[in-house]
Amino acid sequence: MIGKHPSVAEVEETDADLSTVVIPLLKGVIYQDENPVLWNGLLNLQTRVRDYVAVLGLELMLDEAEGYAFLRSRPAEDEEQAGRLPRLVARRRLSFPVSLLLALLRKKLAESDAGGGDTRLILSRDEVVELIRVFLPAGSNETRLIDQVDTHLNKVAEMGFVRRLRGQEKMFEVRRIIKAFIDAQWLAEFDQRLEEYRRQLMTGDLSGDE
Amino acid sequence: MALDFQTLELLRRNHPAWRLLRSDHASLVASFLHRVFIAPNVRTMAQADLAEALEDELFALRERHGAESFPRSAAAYLNDWADNEKGWLRKFYPAGSDEPHFDLTPATEKALAWLASLTERAFVGTESRLLTLFELLRQMSEGSQTDPEARIAELHKRRAEIDGEIACILDGDIPLLDDTALKDRFQQFLQLARELLTDFREVEHNFRTLDRRVRERIALWEGSKGALLEDIMGERDAIADSDQGKSFRAFWDFLMSQRRQEELSRLLGQVLDLAPIAETRPEPRLRRVHYDWLEAGEHTQRTVARLSQQLRRFLDDQAWLENRRIMDILHGIESRALALRDAPPPGEVMELAENAPTIDLPLERPLYSAPVKPLIADVELESGAAEVDTAALYAQVVVDRAELLRHLRQALQERPQISLAEVIQRHPLRHGLAELLIYLQLAGDWPQTAVDEDHQDLIEWPTDDGTIRRARLPRIVFLRMS
Repeated sequence: MIGKHPSVAEVEETDADLSTVVIPLLKGVIYQDENPVLWNGLLNLQTRVRDYVAVLGLELMLDEAEGYAFLRSRPAEDEEQAGRLPRLVARRRLSFPVSLLLALLRKKLAESDAGGGDTRLILSRDEVVELIRVFLPAGSNETRLIDQVDTHLNKVAEMGFVRRLRGQEKMFEVRRIIKAFIDAQWLAEFDQRLEEYRRQLMTGDLSGDE
Repeated sequence: MALDFQTLELLRRNHPAWRLLRSDHASLVASFLHRVFIAPNVRTMAQADLAEALEDELFALRERHGAESFPRSAAAYLNDWADNEKGWLRKFYPAGSDEPHFDLTPATEKALAWLASLTERAFVGTESRLLTLFELLRQMSEGSQTDPEARIAELHKRRAEIDGEIACILDGDIPLLDDTALKDRFQQFLQLARELLTDFREVEHNFRTLDRRVRERIALWEGSKGALLEDIMGERDAIADSDQGKSFRAFWDFLMSQRRQEELSRLLGQVLDLAPIAETRPEPRLRRVHYDWLEAGEHTQRTVARLSQQLRRFLDDQAWLENRRIMDILHGIESRALALRDAPPPGEVMELAENAPTIDLPLERPLYSAPVKPLIADVELESGAAEVDTAALYAQVVVDRAELLRHLRQALQERPQISLAEVIQRHPLRHGLAELLIYLQLAGDWPQTAVDEDHQDLIEWPTDDGTIRRARLPRIVFLRMS
């Protein structure tokens, strides 16, 4: 689309195109199936978008096969420089149950991929409760458990990893973008933190707990 | 397949088609699904549409057979039929839709076809079948003949036959099929045409099974990645290169050619206009049966394309390694989380980047606007009499939540656990039900409680006027916080 020597008119036009792509990206994830026009625009302008957001210390993550794109902070190659620049992408702190739920949903997606069939992983709330129940303290109160799971699920939905189906409150789609965030590195770190905590717990080296 | 007792017993119990025939609702299921899916050649249907159609059907049936005959709602029936237990419908979410869709399973289609074969057919044409068999044999033996001379000999023989036929017609002797022979052939055409339509669901199902088998093989693969790729990618495309895939592609290429389609249309029109055929009043849909094939075939085609694409994505280098590693790590996480079940880490454990930069737009905030000050008009108060029970104002009780919490903590300092009834025995309720409710609320917030449904505790308290109130509730036990 972009020639080697673009004329002035062409540059002006693509600049406007660039805005129509970059602004939505700064606002959130772009999905191919939700907005095919925008998606195609993004594919065409990929290189320019990359160059542009690099100025802001951001990196374009684009998965053509899965059909989603988003921006993330550029991994700090130069520690010194990274230390001086404020982060544009905030990091969200997650409680243990939410972290665990994310890991379990990621597992479910991997299993579903291995099992074949549909690309879409759709779970009912009951299935999610079953998924996490065994990891929560042996409780008594069933409704409380479900309420808790609901709260955690809402958090996960807020982050954009699950989506309630329209018209069916109790059905959720696990969005495939979860793969980009809950990756092997994240999971390994989670695993390590749990191990550290467990060791502290065993040696009784836990301070600040009532 | 051997039709021995064991196999049949297994089929009778497990095969969806047989179970459909055995079901109490078989007539409802079969008639409804046939009307909705088979007769109009519908491939998939949205839940709302299907439920509505079934609701109509149920309504008509209830009118005739009494309101109790089919007590459940259409949606409940559909979900039941789509259940893994039954397996009569396939329920799935198509891409881009939040509404579940339904399609027949091949097993249901088989049962329906068998049911249809029970009723129809005025006579069974045997001649046309024999001819078809001969033709098939000829194709196979010729198609596998490698000796050129044998092939040429066969072609010469056929040419001689055709020459003879031409000579006959030139002599004015035109052999015609009589009415019976026409009907015989037409009937077989009808059956095959319908069967072909029926087969598409099974073809799709086969593709799905194929896909699953390949994925299973990948998931369970123990050796190296290279060996796996050799194993699977040796065949360029696991799905398209299967027997099923090749046969389907050949069918598709054949049907897709413009010349074939025109020829089919012409021949079909011609045959349907023949007097003996028209007499049998064939379905009007038949005239465009090849379009139905196209439609069904296209659906299958799309399924195959989607499956192939997904499979390729699944096999994608990175995803494959990542998935393996993820499963390993998750295994560790699960066992550790299980070990920490009774003492989960408090507070925040992990961090995760947001999926977009945070951009604050101060100017998006509304400008200051002065709050509206309510103007209180100076109205003189007048005394009057009103029929209001003012007792409610004074009868409010205030339960000291902190005090109750203290009771609980004190009790748990002496022993590791205590039931709610015992706590109340030590500190009798002074505010009645309101106080009990606060205790229950505390139980809800207490980090570790257990409810013993098998034992009931009786809790009593006196009211102000001296009567005794009792509440019976399952035993609630508070545990000491570890």
